Amino acid sequence: MNHRLLLFLLATPLLFGQANLEGIWSNAIVTPLERPADLADKQTLTAEEAAAFAKQAVDRRNADHRGASNEADVALAYNNFWFDRGTKTVSTRRTSLIVDPADGHIPALTPQAENLVAEKRAWMEEHATDGPEGRNLQERCLLWVTAGPPMLPGPYNNNFQIVQTHDVVVIVNEMIHDVRMIPLDGGPHLPDNIRLWRGDPRGHWEGKTLVVDTTNFSDQYSLRGSDRNLHLTERFTPVSPDTLLYEFTVDDPTAFTKPWTAQIPVSRTKGPIFEYACHEGNYAMTDILAGARAAEKKNPR
Amino acid sequence: MRTKLAIVIAGVGLLLSAAPGWAHHAFAAEFDSSKPVKLRGVVTKMEWINPHAWIHIDVKNEDGTVTSWMIEGGSPNTLLRNGFTKYSLPVGTEIVVDGYQAKDSTNKANGRHITFPDGRKLFVGSAGQGAAPDSK
Repeated sequence: MNHRLLLFLLATPLLFGQANLEGIWSNAIVTPLERPADLADKQTLTAEEAAAFAKQAVDRRNADHRGASNEADVALAYNNFWFDRGTKTVSTRRTSLIVDPADGHIPALTPQAENLVAEKRAWMEEHATDGPEGRNLQERCLLWVTAGPPMLPGPYNNNFQIVQTHDVVVIVNEMIHDVRMIPLDGGPHLPDNIRLWRGDPRGHWEGKTLVVDTTNFSDQYSLRGSDRNLHLTERFTPVSPDTLLYEFTVDDPTAFTKPWTAQIPVSRTKGPIFEYACHEGNYAMTDILAGARAAEKKNPR
Repeated sequence: MRTKLAIVIAGVGLLLSAAPGWAHHAFAAEFDSSKPVKLRGVVTKMEWINPHAWIHIDVKNEDGTVTSWMIEGGSPNTLLRNGFTKYSLPVGTEIVVDGYQAKDSTNKANGRHITFPDGRKLFVGSAGQGAAPDSK
């Protein structure tokens, strides 16, 4: 038995009598949430295929490649040195992070959810530059699409830190500024009328797995079409000294026609994580709105 | 009506936010694709801030006057992780910026492609490996 594995087995049950999840973890990987169309019939890649897939993904996303038109180019923002994406597929070499349904895709939205999404989209398009409210939550530094919960790989800042005490687990996500306090005291969720941006999490241990149950999401939070009935279950299981299996299940019967589950093995990484403090210098918000005002002056409605 | 609006705004952020470049915000909403600019100037300051760093440069015009520009980049966290610091791009360093001017016509542009005058890339590799160009 190697030294690290022995340490892992010894250390695992020792933090407040529970598995030790503490550390800084990275979910920087190239595997997409949903299975790419050209791999529709393929659940898992061989080692060679995974290497080729990762290489292609890294190249495709290299922001130093210029856009085919000015419109496409400006949308690519800036050089690649600012990005910090993953360079490998998940260690399981699965073709999607979604493991259920078996096709690797988010189940269809219900007609009710489709209508809600369309209504929101239309409102956003109509009011895109009226004021900050018309911009998305990410541009407003309120929530980042991959910071979740659930946590998904993104273009940079793919790191989170777990700190444990006997009655709370804290997850600090480098993307934006999120600190999640997850009580382990067995208490009930908040009353239904109290809604939080990232929901109300409650944790408990099942063996060495931390299970986090989150409800009471704000009406303004939507994960791929989810609504206020979103019930998210996340599971954190240490599977090796340097790997944590992160799984989550999205259950929202008014939004999705069935629940769906994803799995992401995350890797221990060197710290520290850095403060993001998105509001600190969000000049883009005023620039976007000032640009719209300048356009109106030029071509009054 | 206000309640209705508040409800309708709900969550669209997470529906519409997957911009092609996956920056924090849509650069196409801030910068004008019909106003490409190519600027050669010297760094006067780098704002090491989130969600996006801003590099300030002075560009000398043909008539000898100087125009100051602000160039938007990405999150400095990636640079920090690779070992760069705010001293890695010293004041006085000459850079060439290929980008698009802000829609409000102020002297701001995105640093779509920034290089040193000889074409070398900025912030290449890891500073720990001594690869930080021109960091003296």
